[in-house]
Amino acid sequence: MSSSVTAAPEASKLAGEVDPKGYAAAVAKARGRVVLVNFWATWCVPCREEYPDLTRLEKAYRGKGLAVLGISIDSAKDLAAVDKFLAKMQPGFPNYRKASGGDDQIFIESVDKDWGGELPFTVLYARDGRKAKVLSGKQSYATFEAAVQELLK
Amino acid sequence: MKNLRTALSLAAILAIAGTGAALADGPAIGANAPSFQLTTIDGKPFSLADAEKSNKAVVLMFIATKCPYSNAYNDRMRQMAADYSKKGILFVGINSNNTEPEAEVKDHAQKNKWDFTVVKDPGNKVADLYDAKRTPEVFVVGPDGKLLYHGRIDENYEEPAKVTSPDLKNALDQILSGQSVAKTETKAFGCTIKRA
Repeated sequence: MSSSVTAAPEASKLAGEVDPKGYAAAVAKARGRVVLVNFWATWCVPCREEYPDLTRLEKAYRGKGLAVLGISIDSAKDLAAVDKFLAKMQPGFPNYRKASGGDDQIFIESVDKDWGGELPFTVLYARDGRKAKVLSGKQSYATFEAAVQELLK
Repeated sequence: MKNLRTALSLAAILAIAGTGAALADGPAIGANAPSFQLTTIDGKPFSLADAEKSNKAVVLMFIATKCPYSNAYNDRMRQMAADYSKKGILFVGINSNNTEPEAEVKDHAQKNKWDFTVVKDPGNKVADLYDAKRTPEVFVVGPDGKLLYHGRIDENYEEPAKVTSPDLKNALDQILSGQSVAKTETKAFGCTIKRA
């Protein structure tokens, strides 16, 4: 598993799997930066649509203090589709897959207690690790950028 | 103090708006489920208030035609609707996705041999009233119009044979046997409702 939360040479492949504890650890590792976490799945059309904006945003703000993490909600049987998607998108940030097994409700509530489980879903953390904003559903580049800029101030 | 006054004013506005407005939050468990009237895909009127009067409970299921998570439940929805209709519980599928027109919803229901009530929710007004976020997402309304359960059908969308937490079924069985619903709110992943 990659320990990097910035651009990694293997970022076009899954960096590993996360359970609630692993998720918290991945976010904590990037403390000191503004962290944007995007939850996506290959079967989720709006997720696929907004993903290129996230890769663009990460490239633009990587040097300004932003770390982006992707978390795929795809199941194990869709791993080939995940690999294909990441190979096509070439993200400059690590992507993990939610580990199989366990009750998804526990994972969902560990991320945000008000999250209903809808995808895509994005969580922004301030530099001090505080959860600062959540964005439900597909967002525009401008919305992502405004949220990041606000936290980078 | 000013903040308190603002909060009270807002509360008053929301109270006046009642169920006629899209509130930021949906109904809480035990609160009145917002009333609505829609037309079924067969062209018949559907009124939640009327359905409450003639059933032991009404199951409102926010559904989709293209969402894999929702589609994974197509057979379970058909089976549960058939099983529980015999026991006096009405299942209603609500399609609020503005990306899925009524003809597509009708075709999808026919292909899946759904014989339960399916309605199209133009402008996602009902999804807004309930603050429904995803498909599938279920709300169970009791005969007194109170919300009794909100959440998922079960915890395993992929493998129906391996379900260990049949949350909707448990809630309905508890309602039918006169018990309180033990687990009133559950969560699962799903597709965002595509709002207009």
